[in-house]
Amino acid sequence: MFKIMLCCSAGMSTSLLVRKMVDAAEERGLPVKIDAYGVSEFDTQFPHYQVVLLGPQVKYMLKTLADKAATQGIPVQAIDMMDYGMQRGDKVLDYALSLIEAAH
Amino acid sequence: MSSLYQSMVAVIEQSITPLAAKLGQQKYVIAIRDGFTAALPFMIIGSFMLVFIFPPFSADTTNSFARGWLDFSQTYREQLMLPFNLSMGVMTFFISVGIGASLGRQFNLDPVMSGLLAFMAFLLVAAPYADGKISTQYLSGQGIFTALITAIYSTRVYAWLKENKVTIRLPKEVPTGVARSFEILIPVMVVIGTLHPLNLFIEAQTGMIIPQAIMHLLEPLVSASDSLPAILLSVLLCQIFWFAGIHGSLIVTGIMNPFWMANLSANQAALAAGAALPHVYLQGFWDHYLLIGGVGSTLPLAFLLLRSRVTHLRTIGKMGVVPSFFNINEPILFGAPIIMNPMLFIPFVFVPLVNACLAYAATRLGWLAQVVSLTPWTTPAPIGASWAANWAFSPVVMCVICMVMSALMYLPFLRAYERSLMKTEEQKAQATVGVAETASR
Repeated sequence: MFKIMLCCSAGMSTSLLVRKMVDAAEERGLPVKIDAYGVSEFDTQFPHYQVVLLGPQVKYMLKTLADKAATQGIPVQAIDMMDYGMQRGDKVLDYALSLIEAAH
Repeated sequence: MSSLYQSMVAVIEQSITPLAAKLGQQKYVIAIRDGFTAALPFMIIGSFMLVFIFPPFSADTTNSFARGWLDFSQTYREQLMLPFNLSMGVMTFFISVGIGASLGRQFNLDPVMSGLLAFMAFLLVAAPYADGKISTQYLSGQGIFTALITAIYSTRVYAWLKENKVTIRLPKEVPTGVARSFEILIPVMVVIGTLHPLNLFIEAQTGMIIPQAIMHLLEPLVSASDSLPAILLSVLLCQIFWFAGIHGSLIVTGIMNPFWMANLSANQAALAAGAALPHVYLQGFWDHYLLIGGVGSTLPLAFLLLRSRVTHLRTIGKMGVVPSFFNINEPILFGAPIIMNPMLFIPFVFVPLVNACLAYAATRLGWLAQVVSLTPWTTPAPIGASWAANWAFSPVVMCVICMVMSALMYLPFLRAYERSLMKTEEQKAQATVGVAETASR
């Protein structure tokens, strides 16, 4: 089971992407748990996931959030702007999986 | 053009991004934002009651349905006011707890405790108690700034005491649970022991209790926040942050919210008193005239994209149009893209500025109904605008005007952008044809 967390200001626009990513994972037959949260929920939620991807609009918080998650060895990265805008679920999923692999 | 753009990008990277990072990650800005977010559901539903208390019909209406509604609201006014009074009317309760909890979480304190501590700190200075009753005068908009200050103060005190291990020391044999139950006693004691005497002192010196004194001090700032320059400045800041790919509305609304709430409750009080509404620039004005379809008022642009000659833009339009109805436009912002796209910079920044001027002027001329109600920002714009103004019709017209304005301003820039995209597509196509020809030879 791959556990991926997406995070943006209120978890609204990333929730659009969650559906696309889940679809992409289903096509490949991958078991995943993908959820979107607002940044205010970051602290309480990130420990339940293997990787956190940020919407590019909150990329400016990357360093702070990544430092927090680093204490538990969970990677945090920003989603590529174009992939985000085009809602490319499969590419973002690939990126998340590559980060999980690199971290474990 | 390109060198101008490059220098703009340089400015954005070197100064705007760090500024946004600093502002957007400021602990207190985050706490205030979270506090308002937590309080919002109570206030939205509470202010929804307004339409029952003040039906959107003129008093001399002859329509029997409207007549019945008006009579009902007059007969049961007090009963109808109760849920409003105990939500909007005491908004500072929810806000103090929300801010205290968020800040507590950021300082690694127990959020329930820090929220309640903030609540008590606020009550202590803002709820004068006599004869078994507390005055509600400062529990609404008039007490907002006090609520911010007391929540920050009490949480800081709690954090400081914990950091410096100022606590009741118990022998090792005492179970940890027991020790923790004593842990919160000292912050409560210190907060009472400092705020209560301070309030008594200020009252003795000035004749005003703390929230009264704070409102008195902030009066110029609060009235400045409701002026055209303030509107334009906050919009400009938001647009430029967003153009740089930073969630600017998050930062700007975080700062504007206390002012909007204070002014909103002043408008509601005026409505209840049957007086002219004093304030123009409130959350409903921002959300439903300036951010139609999301930041940059891109809903009309989404429709234009649907019919674009460029496949890529059509795809973005299809993906973006439905979320745009609910004011979510990240697919368009990042997909078109508008972010860091010099060809769409001008309409993106100027559409909301122009619409702000129009809506402000219309309000000042008395043509546009003012905001009295809180609405969720995800409400489709014309509905939200009407709802915010207690279901008046003029906001719907204003929304349509804003949308037309936005379409007109985006269109020429979109056409130019399309041309440039088609040119590169053609060049690419020619290049591949050229390669294919060489290969086949």
